[in-house]
Amino acid sequence: MARKMLVDGELSQTNAEEAHYDFDLFVIGAGSGGVRAARFSANYGAKVGICELPFHPISSEVIGGVGGTCVIRGCVPKKILVYGAAYGGEIEDARNYGWEVNENLDFNWKKLLHKKTDEIIRLNGIYKRLLSNAGVKSFEGEGKIVGPNEVEVTQLDGTKLSYSAKHILIATGSRAHRLPIPGQELAITSDEALSLEDLPKRAVVLGGGYIAVEFASIWRGLGATVDLFFRKELPLRGFDDEMRAVVARNLEGRGINLHPRTNLTELIKTDNGIKVVTDHGEELIADVVLFATGRVPNSKRLNLEAVGVELDKTGAVKVDEYSRTNIPSIWAVGDVTNRMNLTPVALMEGTCFAKTVFGGESSKPDYSNIPCAVFSIPPLSVVGLSEEQAIEKANGDVLVFTSTFNPMKNTISGRQEKTVMKLVVDVETDKVLGASMCGPDAPEIMQGIAVALKCGATKAQFDSTVGIHPSAAEEFVTMRSVSRRVPAGGKPKTNL
Amino acid sequence: MATTSFTAPKLSSPTLQTLYRNLPVSVPLPKTLSSFSRHRSPSISRFHHHHLHHRRLFSVRAESENGAEPPRHYDFDLFTIGAGSGGVRASRFAANFGAAVAVCELPFSTISSETTGGVGGTCVLRGCVPKKLMVYASKYSHEFDESNGFGWKYDTEPKHDWSTLMANKNAELQRLTGIYKNILNNAGVTLIEGRGKIVDPHTVDVDGKLYAARHILISVGGRPFIPEITGSEYAIDSDAALDLPSKPEKVAIVGGGYIALEFAGIFNGLKSEVHIFIRQKKVLRGFDEETLGLESVGVKMNKNGAIEVDEYSRTTVPSIWAVGDVTDRINLTPVALMEGGALAKTLFRNEPTKPDYRAVPSAVFSQPPIGQVGLTEEQAIKEYGDIDVYTANFRPLKATLSGLPDRVFMKLVVCAETNKVLGLHMCGEDSAEIVQGFAVAVKAGLTKGDFDATVGVHPTSAEEFVTMRTPTRKIRQKPDSQRKTGLEAKAAAGI
Repeated sequence: MARKMLVDGELSQTNAEEAHYDFDLFVIGAGSGGVRAARFSANYGAKVGICELPFHPISSEVIGGVGGTCVIRGCVPKKILVYGAAYGGEIEDARNYGWEVNENLDFNWKKLLHKKTDEIIRLNGIYKRLLSNAGVKSFEGEGKIVGPNEVEVTQLDGTKLSYSAKHILIATGSRAHRLPIPGQELAITSDEALSLEDLPKRAVVLGGGYIAVEFASIWRGLGATVDLFFRKELPLRGFDDEMRAVVARNLEGRGINLHPRTNLTELIKTDNGIKVVTDHGEELIADVVLFATGRVPNSKRLNLEAVGVELDKTGAVKVDEYSRTNIPSIWAVGDVTNRMNLTPVALMEGTCFAKTVFGGESSKPDYSNIPCAVFSIPPLSVVGLSEEQAIEKANGDVLVFTSTFNPMKNTISGRQEKTVMKLVVDVETDKVLGASMCGPDAPEIMQGIAVALKCGATKAQFDSTVGIHPSAAEEFVTMRSVSRRVPAGGKPKTNL
Repeated sequence: MATTSFTAPKLSSPTLQTLYRNLPVSVPLPKTLSSFSRHRSPSISRFHHHHLHHRRLFSVRAESENGAEPPRHYDFDLFTIGAGSGGVRASRFAANFGAAVAVCELPFSTISSETTGGVGGTCVLRGCVPKKLMVYASKYSHEFDESNGFGWKYDTEPKHDWSTLMANKNAELQRLTGIYKNILNNAGVTLIEGRGKIVDPHTVDVDGKLYAARHILISVGGRPFIPEITGSEYAIDSDAALDLPSKPEKVAIVGGGYIALEFAGIFNGLKSEVHIFIRQKKVLRGFDEETLGLESVGVKMNKNGAIEVDEYSRTTVPSIWAVGDVTDRINLTPVALMEGGALAKTLFRNEPTKPDYRAVPSAVFSQPPIGQVGLTEEQAIKEYGDIDVYTANFRPLKATLSGLPDRVFMKLVVCAETNKVLGLHMCGEDSAEIVQGFAVAVKAGLTKGDFDATVGVHPTSAEEFVTMRTPTRKIRQKPDSQRKTGLEAKAAAGI
């Protein structure tokens, strides 16, 4: 039974030291951000408690699991399915290298799913151990904030536990958004897509973001007919336009049917499958319809309104540069704050939080030059500014270097799929403002490039680095001719 | 070896520039070049006479070993012997800078010899390219195994047909050698098929025909070395291994270097039984010096047969230069390209450029492959004394599903004093692709702190390089007296 201690709005060190709390830190949500913050805070000597919903691959308002989205229904299972799907193309490619493979390949979806589930359960166990090894006390149940220093955990049997905490960290992540069109209950989200009983023969994907593109690639790689619908001219809004076009071309090259500037208006159940109606009046039948239309922060059931924690209009918890909310003792990291929704960013936010609050070193997460990847087949990876962003932000002219080539493997396999690599350089400083690549291994390649870019490496430094041969990556250090020079404030802003 | 200070002939004469510009790029310069060269050389000589001083004339004379000599009519500004990575690079770039260039190369064959070679050189014809294609071919067997864990099943185990691979590989080589020929053509470089031999510091003999050149570039590469033991005639080298008529069921590989390891992986992947015998590494031997005419013209070689050059790739004869494997510096294609590019700048751009051998990354395409850049732990300890070593040793995500025992090992070698990343090493899938970007960082002298401040790309293996938090070991071998305090160290490092 915790003592309720009211602390002044101004959280001063001396006041806090006088009050007694059950925990120095209580974290709601044991995903990437929450676990990182909890462990590191404990390592700094804090007494930490954390609560998380019970585990299941498919989340809901009351179901989640230690490890969070990334481990259970995001990055990890996604990558596993991409690996599985990529073999289809690889096996095809092997033929011209001399391999004699049966025309009829047998793919066992249930086996892949089973192994995927084994793996996420294994990781879930590891994350639990990480927490206990760090001395963090874990609770299973739904967390709610009752006061600036008080949380309430509702356990599975309904009993409520109350704890006082000097600091509370909200790390409840986000969930897939469902488009409210008639028949929406027939559609699935990424949670279900990662745990489907059967592989669809015909799939419809609605959405233009990375999740839509990745699932389109996965299902297509496993032999399904895939139709991808998105509102804009190209998928992946926000990424470099030239690279978006490359991705679109590759998706088509792999046999995915693209439907740009198209939305879905209705889903109707039929004996044949789900009838999908578009806003162009077209109709299709599909076995599976995936809504990949965005994710929303999990901020509804935390009782934030009563406590006075401010949200923005998307429902994300508002925080300052140190991840602190408007309530001095309440903080938030990860997808629930809707800053950059990537696991390594949540890790960074959690680390900085722990350092700031318990490590004695005020640390602001740095959002510049964060690399990321879209695991389409082949994948896209970027770091820094897109060409459009560079043109907008640079003081002077911008140089664009591109390299488009057929990767060596394809010269024998016969696959017609070009790799495109791009550097965007500031003429004044010669600094590389942005790098992007669409092609096999792009995400692995981009990591090292990101280190250089983050530290302000110049094109000259790139060029003075000797290449590793033969590789695709070496193209990044051998781009000699300028593809185009764009004057400052040049190209009009596009709306693709 | 004195580095004579000189400036390359500049095409500053307007007539000359117009003349050159009007030449259609796709038309190769005529072989004999007599008419054109007569337009060029006298202009250049006039340029020398009118605009330059004694020193220029003197240095021109000094360039030819035979003492006082009037400026010659040269057929070419640069004659390159060997159209491989270094030779083609130097020749193209030199031509782009306005030089009249010719290159000679032996006729094409997948197996090299004193009379066979081919445009593109070792890299394209019997090195990097065919090697990588064979690695790709052989990797599939591992991928078939892996895919089982991901739900893929094969009615019958996939079988490999060697002749399909060889045919497709050879077709690709033909295509590439054609591309290299076009590259030379398009740059306006004259390509001569035949065996080049140096007659004097400014003359090359190609199968009996003589060509005069201001500068001669030797870029004949290297060849595999077969030790002389009883029965060595039954052994093959890498040339033959890349072009066998049929798959060997059992292979014995003698050697411990990257070539041995790569072939071990290739044959193993294609289901041969492989045995590898390792002893000390030997340096790749250079081209036969006697047939090249080097000794007679005074080009010095070391005891391994490599041509001695200075930092600008100049030999002991001022008008003769050498790049690539024949100089046995760092025998990698991108290094030959660097050397060739630097030479072209030095000779024809008036920008003396030394190739930079620091932090040259490289890879071994064994299975799994290795990538590295910078110093090894041992080298770092020797040079810096106090270093921190960070390692990551893990099962990649793919392996947790495939059930295969694949692992990844990564290592950062960091200077304890300055926190600079001195060396970066990796063994595991995709190492070569991963290390390239990090090589930019290492070459730029970035620190462990810089690495750590970089957010990871997730999920990848590469992100492990930016999330290594605790040193695996700290080595302190610097004598205490030499160890600077933290502040002193930072000041010394310019931080």
